[in-house]
Amino acid sequence: MKIALVGNQNSGKTTLFNQLTGTNQKVGNWPGVTIERKEGLIIGTEIEIVDLPGVYSLSPYSTEEEISRQFAMEEKPDLIINIIDATSLERSLYLTTQLLELDSDVVIALNMADALEQHGISIDVDKLSKKLNASIVSISAKKNIGIDRLIELIEKGAYRKNHHEHIYDGPIERLIAEISESLIVHHQRFAAVKIIERDRDYRQLVTPETADKISLLESDYQMDSEQLIADQRYKYIVEIKEECTTIAPRGESITDKLDRVFLNKYFALPIFGAIMAIVYFLSVGLVGGLTVEFVAALFDGSEVIDIFGRDIPFAIAGLGPLVESGLQSAGASAWAISLLIDGIIGGFGAVSSFLPQLMILFLCLALLETTGYMSRIAFFLDRIFKRFGLSGKSLIPFIVGSGCSIPGIMSARTVESEEERKMTIMLTPFVPCSAKLPIIALFAGYFFASYAWLVTLSLYFMAVAVILLSAVLLKRFVYKGAISAYISELPNYHAPSVRYVFRDVFGKTWAFVKRAGTIIVLCSVVVWFLGSFTWAFNYIDGIDYHLENSILAGIGNALAWLFYPMLGGTWSWGATVSAIQGLIAKEQVVGSLEVIAGLEGSGSDIFGSGLFSFFTGWSAYAYMIFNLFSAPCFAAIAAMRKELGSTKLMLKAILFQTGIAWTLATIVGLIGWILA
Amino acid sequence: MKERRCKHNRARLATGCEGHLSDLARGQKGKVLDFHNDNMALRRRLLDMGITKGVIIEVKKIAPLGDPIDICLRGYELCIRKKDMQSIDVEVVG
Repeated sequence: MKIALVGNQNSGKTTLFNQLTGTNQKVGNWPGVTIERKEGLIIGTEIEIVDLPGVYSLSPYSTEEEISRQFAMEEKPDLIINIIDATSLERSLYLTTQLLELDSDVVIALNMADALEQHGISIDVDKLSKKLNASIVSISAKKNIGIDRLIELIEKGAYRKNHHEHIYDGPIERLIAEISESLIVHHQRFAAVKIIERDRDYRQLVTPETADKISLLESDYQMDSEQLIADQRYKYIVEIKEECTTIAPRGESITDKLDRVFLNKYFALPIFGAIMAIVYFLSVGLVGGLTVEFVAALFDGSEVIDIFGRDIPFAIAGLGPLVESGLQSAGASAWAISLLIDGIIGGFGAVSSFLPQLMILFLCLALLETTGYMSRIAFFLDRIFKRFGLSGKSLIPFIVGSGCSIPGIMSARTVESEEERKMTIMLTPFVPCSAKLPIIALFAGYFFASYAWLVTLSLYFMAVAVILLSAVLLKRFVYKGAISAYISELPNYHAPSVRYVFRDVFGKTWAFVKRAGTIIVLCSVVVWFLGSFTWAFNYIDGIDYHLENSILAGIGNALAWLFYPMLGGTWSWGATVSAIQGLIAKEQVVGSLEVIAGLEGSGSDIFGSGLFSFFTGWSAYAYMIFNLFSAPCFAAIAAMRKELGSTKLMLKAILFQTGIAWTLATIVGLIGWILA
Repeated sequence: MKERRCKHNRARLATGCEGHLSDLARGQKGKVLDFHNDNMALRRRLLDMGITKGVIIEVKKIAPLGDPIDICLRGYELCIRKKDMQSIDVEVVG
């Protein structure tokens, strides 16, 4: 048995899917989180269920909505679970009336039934079920209420069969009957209605005789048939709704009260700025300042750690020194010790030391997301984005991209216009993703100390500026099309669900640790190898052969000229090879710097090493800019290729990104050079 | 005649006047009379979202920068740009 889960955007489909299947798909409090169909089995059964992107009707507007329409129409599921938001019954039932015209049976899951009281609404579910002639189960997907009853109903097949209720006026119903009689397609009733609507997809099924009858209807009702059908559907729904629901008048809702503040004409932007400042102050500033040296010491065994400018003795022996003394007493060779200490533990430790602040950042973003504030950001920035040729909907990919560019790039599917979608895909990697945060935290933490959070914030605002600037360039020279319409929804504010926030933070944290333990360790070994041997494969022992003779230095020296101006006139092969490794994973830039500093062997931190002591505030800022805005990692590049649908376009995009990054970084670096 | 008199009062359309949905001030309600829209996809979408003739729409929230606008109809809320609201004719009802 195959079941499709269909409903409006933000109606809780994915939450229900997770409850039904016991999986953990991404849920968010904004429309359009689900962009691809996801399949699973209902717990304890063999019933296959497919979660589809949210739609408002079966006439699709964007790529991901087309997925839902196609599935419902062409794959002919045995049953459709139509999840509807009980608090906006009228709009939700519009889709229901369309689904009930298909050949499949439909069970309605009346979601958020628990929130009705709060909205002053009461629904007579039995009556509604009778009127629609379809089975209805009241559920709360979020609180796991009614799910068992829903599963039971499906398993037993005890739901009402689809009877194709007549919902239109007599003359229209007669025409539908007449047309469907002559049709030999699936979903006859649905097709007949589409034909009356003069839908382009059904054009070839219209006979001249039918066309005349449609025109006749139109003149009788004095509106075109598309309007007529929508009008009739809504008339039917309003009638049912009035019979089955009572709405108590209520004062201003909490959401409206909050929006008076958060969307206030004068305060909205300052509040937005303040919220973002708090986010970065908490993560990079406070937690970063407290934990970076602490975690690093666990690996490198520093005896004194610097916390907010105070030297605090640290008694725990670090992993590095422990392993080193163990290996030495076991009689391990110098290169083996170096591989473990400078390569693996060095690279992994350098990246891991940023984990606590990343977790706080994930936590803050998850809170902003589930409470509904993120959607407000898209709402009030739309005006600015529109001016630069982007829709407010592009903001969702950008916000998702602050975690990782890949899901961000994928969620660009919610952008309706093809050109804006391509622009959004190309611009999403400019948003500093969580893998880029270690780079920022490393440089900002060292060179700007207690102002690190402010520098971090400045880079995020610079990212917005770079995105807008690039949008202008693209709109001017490449994508000259008109700006599309923006239709969206403001979800209600919700108290954050502890479980989802926890899952989200844990999922992202685990992904980061997994990368540090796999890709970063592997790359650190490669960097260690390239930095430990010469081109003739002689081990660099510091006596006959030096780090400058290594393969790594050779590669770096070949490209160091590119970085010469942005580093304030410094020829640095180390910074060069590290930046290039950002292609593999952005946090590897930090891993590589640490490994190289370790190989150099002066025994202190990255910026204490003779190779990197040249960095100044200016060149650090320039180097951060380059790493943040240049081509993203290979995984994100692959996602870009897939979503852009062309290798050529993808190459152009990464050249464009790297070009912008290099230019900006060089400007900043040159200013620093001149001032010095 | 009626319409012209209404347009003189720039600050706020009085009840009973006709205008575009985009002319309504915050808190005002309008009854949809007709649409004139060249963009068929947008028109279809607006119909699907319940903007049909006779429906009553309230302007609920306006973004801090003046655009887009959050409107309330059929018991739910929808955000829409001013430009797209211009294609909807309404009669002010409150």
